[in-house]
Amino acid sequence: MTELAHRWVPGATSIAGIGATDFSKHSGRSPLTLAVQATRAALADAGIDPREVDGIVRCDMDLVSAPALADSLGVRDLTYWGEAGPGGSGPAAMVAQAAAAVSAGLASTVVVFRALNGRSGNRYGLVGERGAAGGEGSYDEFFLPFGMQTAGQFFAVVARRYAHEHGMSVDKLSEGLASIALACRSHANNNPAAQFHGRTMTREEYFASRMLSDPLRLFDYCLESDGACAVVVTSTERARDLASVPVPIISAAQGTGACVQPGLMFPALLRPSITTWPSAAAAPTLFGRAGLTPADIDVAQIYDCFTITTLIQLEDYGFVPRGQAAHLTEDQLTTGGTLPLNTSGGHLSEAYIHGMNHVVEGVRQIRGTSTNQVAGAEVCLVTSAPPPGASALILGVDR
Amino acid sequence: MTGTETTTVGPVVPVVDDVDTGEFFAAAARGELAVRQCAGCRADLHLPRECCPHCGELSRTWRTVTPRGTLYSWTVVEHQVHPAHPTPYTVVLVELDEAPTVRLLGHLDGRPSLTIGQPMVVEFVDVEGVRLPHWRPAAEEESDHE
Repeated sequence: MTELAHRWVPGATSIAGIGATDFSKHSGRSPLTLAVQATRAALADAGIDPREVDGIVRCDMDLVSAPALADSLGVRDLTYWGEAGPGGSGPAAMVAQAAAAVSAGLASTVVVFRALNGRSGNRYGLVGERGAAGGEGSYDEFFLPFGMQTAGQFFAVVARRYAHEHGMSVDKLSEGLASIALACRSHANNNPAAQFHGRTMTREEYFASRMLSDPLRLFDYCLESDGACAVVVTSTERARDLASVPVPIISAAQGTGACVQPGLMFPALLRPSITTWPSAAAAPTLFGRAGLTPADIDVAQIYDCFTITTLIQLEDYGFVPRGQAAHLTEDQLTTGGTLPLNTSGGHLSEAYIHGMNHVVEGVRQIRGTSTNQVAGAEVCLVTSAPPPGASALILGVDR
Repeated sequence: MTGTETTTVGPVVPVVDDVDTGEFFAAAARGELAVRQCAGCRADLHLPRECCPHCGELSRTWRTVTPRGTLYSWTVVEHQVHPAHPTPYTVVLVELDEAPTVRLLGHLDGRPSLTIGQPMVVEFVDVEGVRLPHWRPAAEEESDHE
């Protein structure tokens, strides 16, 4: 980090409000309506009139533009907008961008949102069905014609390599992946908003689920979901006068590491390592800005498009040494354990809102309002996916 | 190398005329495996692009490499996504013997028995007029690297 990068002021900005829609397989609404509903909920939570919003940060893959959302909210004048990504690498970076805009004086009330009909609308993975694949910097020509077409297939290749590098059988790795899936599922079972609220799962049921892309099974995959989440970012000083308890942004970081490769996801198979991700680059920046270490984290919301994604991040962020995340048990990862994670159920069992529901749940933990509340939680890590890049937040209590 | 053997695996064809990547497919059409190489520092640059991140040189030079590699990882796809790729099939990720920073994909039917680190060889496959370098396990006599 350069000297300039140290100018981050921990806790200068806060998340003042959170909001979410219902999560479903068929919302029956446009992404714009979902975005408006989640944003209105977040603004109501903060006690802010929607017309007062002056900034919006969106995900680069969202179908809803900043002006479209501003229009529906009745905003008088949107004076700041921005976006981050790529895709699931975005949410923590989106919050960071909102915080930066507030700190720089470019805006005072910034909405950060993600809205998608991820099940009933454009489903991921249905790529390369039309015409020739690739070109224009996508590099898909080296992947789609060879049968690699989905994120699940990509992460399956990563998972097998991980097992090989750490000298463990694929079955042993799956035991560790199961622990993550089971932790998320048990948390979802306590969360009425989760899509898997009513569906329990045993380790045997995990292993009995059908193989989709060996070694990844159905329950290593996240849910495809319709829904939206939003948060409101403002200065901590102002947030203290608003309706809800402020949740200060203690740290925020983004990272790619070296040799990140062009393209979106598949080109990451060309990196020097496919089992260490950009999250390993973001981690020292994140903890350095906060003056904290992994041992200070009370609870974590770790991006989980697939179980293996979470497992590798647990090592990238330094919670366990390389090769050890596969040995974690469900008890260690659930409320009451040493590293409770994804306390809403995560992407695996609550909903796939592309990393944004992790931000909302992180705020709940600091407020003490999670349906899987970690007793005395004061420091929460929120991560947004590798591989295209990684971003992360540390949320804390206002002192 | 068995460049004269051709089979058809489906209609997902690559863009072959991209300014940065087209030479890879042009070489494949000639039965060659080509790797983008920086004209300045001679670093292999895959995925292909003009600007070398190591020395900053802009170039469009390529080199031909022996079509042999080592299996880096793989997945057996069991869930059908694309109609052109009936399941089960296997996607292999292969590291090139003569360009170890370069990894390429190949498609194999079914669930072949594989081991990470095993020798692989290119098998050119024609798909709707485009020749693709796929990979298959090397036969014993082909894996002799001496």
